[in-house]
Amino acid sequence: MNTFAAATRIGAFSQTWRDVPWHRYRLLAIGGAIVGLVLFSALFAGLITPYSPYAQDIVNQLKGPSWDHLFGTDQFGRDVFTRTIYAARISVEVASVAVGIGFFGGAVIGVLSAFFGDPLDMVLMRLMEVVFSFPAILLAVVLMAALGTSTFNAMMAIGIIFVPGFARLARVSTLSVLRQNFLEVAHAIGMSRRRIIAREILPNVLTPLLVEAMVAFAYAALLESALSFLGLGAQPPEPSWGNILNEGRGFVYQAAWLGIAPGAALFLTVIGFNLVGDGLRDWLDPRLKD
Amino acid sequence: MTRLIGTRLAAFVPTMFVVSVLLFVAVNVVPGSAARSALGIDATPQAIARFNAAQGLDKPLPVQYYDWLKGAVQGDLGTSFQSQQSVAPEVSRRLPITLELAILAFLIANIIALPLGVLAASSHQKKRDTVISFFASLMGGVPNFWLATLLIMLFAVEFRLLPAGGYVPFTEDPVENLKTIIMPALSLGLVSASLLLRIMRAGMIDVLSSSYIQTAKAKGASTAVILRRHAVLNALTAYLTVGAVEFGFLFGSVIIIENIFSIPGVGSFLLVGVVNRDYPVLMASALAITFVALAGNMLVDILGSLIDPRQVHRRALT
Repeated sequence: MNTFAAATRIGAFSQTWRDVPWHRYRLLAIGGAIVGLVLFSALFAGLITPYSPYAQDIVNQLKGPSWDHLFGTDQFGRDVFTRTIYAARISVEVASVAVGIGFFGGAVIGVLSAFFGDPLDMVLMRLMEVVFSFPAILLAVVLMAALGTSTFNAMMAIGIIFVPGFARLARVSTLSVLRQNFLEVAHAIGMSRRRIIAREILPNVLTPLLVEAMVAFAYAALLESALSFLGLGAQPPEPSWGNILNEGRGFVYQAAWLGIAPGAALFLTVIGFNLVGDGLRDWLDPRLKD
Repeated sequence: MTRLIGTRLAAFVPTMFVVSVLLFVAVNVVPGSAARSALGIDATPQAIARFNAAQGLDKPLPVQYYDWLKGAVQGDLGTSFQSQQSVAPEVSRRLPITLELAILAFLIANIIALPLGVLAASSHQKKRDTVISFFASLMGGVPNFWLATLLIMLFAVEFRLLPAGGYVPFTEDPVENLKTIIMPALSLGLVSASLLLRIMRAGMIDVLSSSYIQTAKAKGASTAVILRRHAVLNALTAYLTVGAVEFGFLFGSVIIIENIFSIPGVGSFLLVGVVNRDYPVLMASALAITFVALAGNMLVDILGSLIDPRQVHRRALT
């Protein structure tokens, strides 16, 4: 390879590099960084902090922020920074499973109702409408009351809430795919229904569902914390942003710092996933922007 | 128009029926726990059986639901397992408190969202729009129960301006009433405002780029006239659709906000029912909250079709 060719290639590369409309991916990048941080905390909490989230220290109860305890300590002398970092775990866990339930449940219901049409379509969509008409937090609280408080039940309760949203979206996307020419071709060449759904419809429906999943993830983390805040989700001493905030309420006059860090962490998580959702949508479908 | 309102009202009854069935199933899905909760941990099996028989909890679920529904249509929502008091009067005593909180919160949300949404859209792609949109996006990520905690820290603990909780009825002392209700209403309203603001902004940007606005500009109409006479009402259509859903969401959130501020509304009644496994309390308050959320949703929706008559025809066609 002569130097001239190499030079032009580098030139071409830096040209394309400059041509990438980076400002379009700004949201995705910021959101991605925040989400990465949250996931890192959830997976490698032990690497970030030297303390255990359960280690009590009777001497250092309700101490304000210091270099030893960045966000202070709680009523048992536990390090609030550590508990906040570890709490990412339960949030990510519950939100992932809940969104997974909503995603797959919704995709199955939505695709089937669009593909097979009435009467299945009518029955399923009416049912989805009714579930959707409940205020989400109310449905979660009632289900938790009935099922009993456990992390698994929180995943189920929150997951059920997401099914109608995903189902509607999957149904609408499937309907628009069904109108495309390539489906007629698929029928014409004798593809089976199952093959058409799996090979032609699902890949086209997944994109909008993926964007929805990011937004749902933010909301799931919020609902998990709300349930834990009400004492219906993760049970102490297991740290969750919601239950740390709730415990801190009793010490609002002596130890305000208990109410800052966990809330800020939850806030960041919600913003991060929302940004990734917005960014993905702009990236995948720039027409929708503004 | 009357027909539209009629159909909406007619659809409301079956919806509430299905909602009540689903709630009943959800509440009663795990049998037996109510007795333990009411009688204590060391209750004998005989006592539990007696309790279940007395409350009708030993009957099949459809029969239980039928009994419940028979009472409910006559305004009897059952008797609390815990206090042995009738539940319906308690709910109707608490409901106005929750309504006051939710309506004030919804007003706050709209008072912030409407003008700022219009302002942001009319300065689209300028600095002012960027700043407003940025803060709206940030606000949208704030959990309302965290906002409530922060407000308490600021106004109750730091400045000692407002009480950290409790409730004074409006009829007793209007000023104290406002003092007890303003922080809870802000916690709910500010978060809703951010979503509504973004919807209003997007709707306005959409309308302002349409050709009839170009025509209005071309004939020399001033910005104020264009906004007021041509744009805002058209943008409100989409806004009200989202607003209807948002009211329902906001009304559900009273459960958590009432708990934080110790406001004796339906939301905190629901939590009492949850903690005690008091099925009649749980069922009645959950139903009341869903009822108001759906009714509010319907009202805002009807308001939307009053503003935009096109919707009536579109719906009549489908």
